[in-house]
Amino acid sequence: MGNPMKILVIEDDETTGAYITDGLRQEGHSVDYIDTGNDGLVQATVGQYDVIVVDRMLPGIDGLAVVKTLRGAGQKAPVLMLTALGGVEDRIEGLNAGADDYLVKPFAFGELSARINALGRRPPVSDEPTVLSARDLEMNLLTRKVTRGGQEIDLLPREFALLEHLLRRKGRVQTRTMLLESVWDIHFDPQTNVVETHISRLRAKVDKPFDTELIKTVRGSGYRIDVE
Amino acid sequence: MTRARGAIFRSTPLRLTVRLIAVFSVSTALSFGAAYMIVERSADAVLREQVLQEFESYRLERRQRDLVEKVIEEITTVPPRTTIIDYRSDDGNRFSNVQGLPSLGGLSIVGASEIPLSEDQLADSYLVVEGRVGNGQLTLARNRDHVEDLFRIFGIVLVVNLLPTLAIGSVLGLWSARRARDRVEAIRGTLREMTGGNLEARVTGLDDAPDDIADIGRAVNRMAVAQAASIASLKQVSADIAHDLKTPIQRVSVLLSRLEEAGLSGEQAEIAARARKETTGIVKTFQSLLQIAQIEGGRIEERFTRMDLAEVVAGIVDVFEPTAEESGHKLVLVRDGPAPVTGERQLLGQVTANLIENALRHAPPGSRIDVKVGAKPRPFLQVTDDGPGIPKEERANVLKRHYRLERSRTTEGSGLGLALVSAIADLHGAKLELGDAGPGLSVTLTFPEA
Ligand SMILES: Nc1ncnc2c1ncn2[C@@H]1O[C@H](COP(=O)(O)OP(=O)(O)O)[C@@H](O)[C@H]1O
Ligand SMILES: [Mg+2]
Repeated sequence: MGNPMKILVIEDDETTGAYITDGLRQEGHSVDYIDTGNDGLVQATVGQYDVIVVDRMLPGIDGLAVVKTLRGAGQKAPVLMLTALGGVEDRIEGLNAGADDYLVKPFAFGELSARINALGRRPPVSDEPTVLSARDLEMNLLTRKVTRGGQEIDLLPREFALLEHLLRRKGRVQTRTMLLESVWDIHFDPQTNVVETHISRLRAKVDKPFDTELIKTVRGSGYRIDVE
Repeated sequence: MTRARGAIFRSTPLRLTVRLIAVFSVSTALSFGAAYMIVERSADAVLREQVLQEFESYRLERRQRDLVEKVIEEITTVPPRTTIIDYRSDDGNRFSNVQGLPSLGGLSIVGASEIPLSEDQLADSYLVVEGRVGNGQLTLARNRDHVEDLFRIFGIVLVVNLLPTLAIGSVLGLWSARRARDRVEAIRGTLREMTGGNLEARVTGLDDAPDDIADIGRAVNRMAVAQAASIASLKQVSADIAHDLKTPIQRVSVLLSRLEEAGLSGEQAEIAARARKETTGIVKTFQSLLQIAQIEGGRIEERFTRMDLAEVVAGIVDVFEPTAEESGHKLVLVRDGPAPVTGERQLLGQVTANLIENALRHAPPGSRIDVKVGAKPRPFLQVTDDGPGIPKEERANVLKRHYRLERSRTTEGSGLGLALVSAIADLHGAKLELGDAGPGLSVTLTFPEA
């Protein structure tokens, strides 16, 4: 699943650390696990990592300081910051310090994995494409027309935005929270399953009338449009 | 006006002032009266002495004839205003400077009305002395107007003495009563606010006034501080508990995930799934509790920016529209131009989402949900549904943490939604009102001008 990456995990809680490390290794990544901020900072500067996962609260140098120091030293590796339960405000601090994404504990492993994959090495984007496609589906970003098998599909603006987001991240899982955050800029947790409804509406137009399913549900994680 | 007057009559200091003035007036009047009576009596005694001496001068005439001559001389020279002289001799002759004077016998003080003569020739009252002189009965009635005048003088002195006291007393009394009433009102208002849940309320304008009402005000303030402190420490305790439980909860969640991955049999997997669901509920509750604590204690204002509330609300409505449709609710956005506010975008979005979710959750399918946002007269957000609403007496309660109506017991939720709304409203200085949409609930947040 995904392309194997070199990942550094800096987390002081052993249970959580082991869980993350084991899970990521099972997905085929190579993982280094460090349990203090000081050692983590050293390791992050010497090793060449594709993604660094760092807990916000660490004994000694805390996660924020680690990220700040790394960024100050010109380290560009993407950082996913883990914040404790209730640390809604930590998100802003984390992002300000230079983290690229954040995740509130406790999280499902699928969520962590999807976010790490989203952060990891991306194929260098050439020019901004004007047409996105998957199998027989085409989305023209200029004319805002969507066709499947030559047949035009009429989408509401919000459906268009959701489909565009999934198409741009073809082959990568997008979790519900990731969609909420990036499509609707919602960084809190609604009590209702709003994302599911949006997806099923989109599917009703994009998938239902055709024989192959484009938008896949990834169990326990989220949704993905596969690369053929 | 009537209320203000009612309030001033209920004011203790004013009542005391009025009572004091009354007591003072009555006692002054009484002592003046007593003094007057004493002075009058002694003046009359002096007068009587004079009249008796005059009487004696008649008695000195040894012969009846000389006596009659003296009487005649006196009645022709002395006007009745000064002294009324009346002599009836035993032989039936009568000499008098007032014709037809009735017998004044037995009376010692006589008013002008008793005397058959026009008033302008008479004094107001007379002191009368009667007795036998020679062979006859002599009556002398002496003008006692100067004694009468004493009454007027005493009256004037009384009034001159009393009026300024009354005036100064009333003004001072009214002024201090007003001051006291303002203090009392301030204390009453503060207590009312505190009962209404505003623990920040304090009695102001006390300075270090040395009076007892100010003392009460200061005592109320001390009590308020103590109460706020104990509530804060209670909150701190629950925040601490929540904080200490963060890591264990996270571990439980991780361990459950591992358990689920361990390839459990059907029933075991089901139990694990149920445990995970419960854990998710706990996590959500904790998340909300900790978020409320963070909002109440944080420095979120530092991140406030100016924004259009209407944009934020429209975005949230757009997200919820399909869900509302799915559950058979009619979600309608009513936008009335931009609504500029200063605030935190995510929190304002969360307020909107919570209110819409409440309507979706607590109003039955088929209900209509109106989300209004505008700037007139001040930036506002209003979410109205036509569901069962919330009884008036419960509206303050539902804003408390974990408080849910009896009928919502079986509905999903932890009773933290409106508590969060309330905390976010406070943070933004917005007024939160729960009203009756007849039928249904109407929640309005009115923001300060951005
Ligand atoms: N729109 C509404 N209509 C009727 N009752 C409501 C509505 N919103 C809230 N309530 C009542 O107020 C209670 C508290 O609301 P809230 O704090 O959001 O908690 P929760 O929704 O989790 O129960 C609810 O349990 C419900 O009884
Ligand atoms: Mg609620």
